[in-house]
Amino acid sequence: MSRMLTSRLSRREFVVAAAGSLAVARPSAARQLTAGAVIERIRASVSVPWNEKTVDGLKAGDPSTVVTGIAVTVMATLDVLRRAAAAKKNFIVTQEPVFYAPNDNPGPRETDPVYLAKKDFIEKERLVIFRFSDHWNASRPQAAPLALADALGWSKDRATENDRLYSVPPTTLGALAADVRTRLNIRGGVRIVGRSDLPVRNAYVSPGTTDVPGILAHLPRADVVIAGEPREWEAVPYIADNVTAGHAKGMIALGRLVSEEPGALVAAVWLKSVMPELAIESVRLTDPYWSPRA
Amino acid sequence: MTAQEVVTRLQQRLTEEGIQWRAQTVDTFKAGSPDTEVRGIATSGMATFDLIRRAAERYRNFVISHEPTFYNHLDQTANLTADPTYLAKQQFIREHNMVVFRFHDHAHMLRPDPLIIGSARALGLTPFAQPDNPRVYTIQPTPLRVLVADMQRRVSGRAMRVMGDPEMVIRRIVLGPGSGVPALASTPEAFDLAIGGETAEAGGNAEYILDAAAIGQPRAMILLGHMLSEDFGMQEVANWMRPLLPGVDVEWIPAGEPFGA
Repeated sequence: MSRMLTSRLSRREFVVAAAGSLAVARPSAARQLTAGAVIERIRASVSVPWNEKTVDGLKAGDPSTVVTGIAVTVMATLDVLRRAAAAKKNFIVTQEPVFYAPNDNPGPRETDPVYLAKKDFIEKERLVIFRFSDHWNASRPQAAPLALADALGWSKDRATENDRLYSVPPTTLGALAADVRTRLNIRGGVRIVGRSDLPVRNAYVSPGTTDVPGILAHLPRADVVIAGEPREWEAVPYIADNVTAGHAKGMIALGRLVSEEPGALVAAVWLKSVMPELAIESVRLTDPYWSPRA
Repeated sequence: MTAQEVVTRLQQRLTEEGIQWRAQTVDTFKAGSPDTEVRGIATSGMATFDLIRRAAERYRNFVISHEPTFYNHLDQTANLTADPTYLAKQQFIREHNMVVFRFHDHAHMLRPDPLIIGSARALGLTPFAQPDNPRVYTIQPTPLRVLVADMQRRVSGRAMRVMGDPEMVIRRIVLGPGSGVPALASTPEAFDLAIGGETAEAGGNAEYILDAAAIGQPRAMILLGHMLSEDFGMQEVANWMRPLLPGVDVEWIPAGEPFGA
């Protein structure tokens, strides 16, 4: 089943599988897997060639560690690591950085008590942390937009030829923002650009970094951009200027982690297909932001 | 005075303050002709289409903007030439004989940095500044929740976002403008709170604050949004410019928060 989801699972099944329970408590087979062997299997099974110029790879821990189970998360915070360790999962797969920098180089924080406490916990619990971002997001079908749309209840509304375009039940920008907030359990304040009474029928789903080129390519066919992290000197003023120009467009910004989590957790399904002998579960992150208006 | 003459005057003043105009800078004309006669100047955090319209209504045909006009740091427009929004904005600028100039790099080189000073003033932090460092503020111990509510009221924020325990007590604050949100760390000082406009939502303060909380060292971050962070600094810039340009109306017109309710 490892190569590939596209051949063995329809897109619908792919997303449904992702939405289901991921905890599988199967007793480990006779042969034990080391962290190094797990990483080797991931590299060999991923549908794109392994690029050595990548943020992906081993971020902490000893590759000879015998893997007791895999925990998949959007971001391996210390709290996530504690929950993984408590669930006897010592191999953590994370999409976002572990050590406070895009390349996980802690830099001046190398002597910081916060960094040291995290490192100590990893060593004490013999955890192994593997970052899986570039290659997961380069895999097709791309989990990020599919899983986010599914979390929004739009899996039936997908444009046949584009995983990022959805014809959603008619609503307004304001009503959609309220619905999205509830469905994704967002604390940080969904941020809206545009008129709240804007009629919405077509949505462009852009989790993670939402950039202007992506918007330019999709906005002619969408009323609203469902954004993750749009830069406020790029994508945000572009949509704001659309509104001023009288174009019927809007944006709902969810926050990076909230927008990416559904797609990041789908990696648990894929990993299970690659390593059926291992117990694999996903560990959720709560929206780290809060809004004074909430 | 033409727009170019205004810019030349600003450059002269910078030289007098010991700031050489940089060869490589984003501080250039972005739209309109530098030869345009200036009827009035509007300084602002960003030359959004809405801001340009409001400036035109107030007969300020020269917009001096801190942030880009065309949706990227270098204001490259090659992929926008067929875009109806870009074309509408350019058409408005042309029809209203307007000019847009960016004043970013050199504004941040002024001492003190007017973008920091303006943000602090808007947030009510000015009286608490460390004398030798306008980025650092010491306040009476205040719960984060109370401080956030006060700042939200002061800047009328609709889309501020906060990380950190609402009940944690804030005493030492570090302030950075725009996307320059200071990195929280234990050295050289463990500030309780970093305030700025916007920042990468992973790979920095995000996981640091969560991890610090997990070991009982609470830290916090307030993201005001880029405009609520830097609009106010352009009021300081307007105040700096006004005496340099006698006879020219210089007005601060905030771009405003782009986010709605």
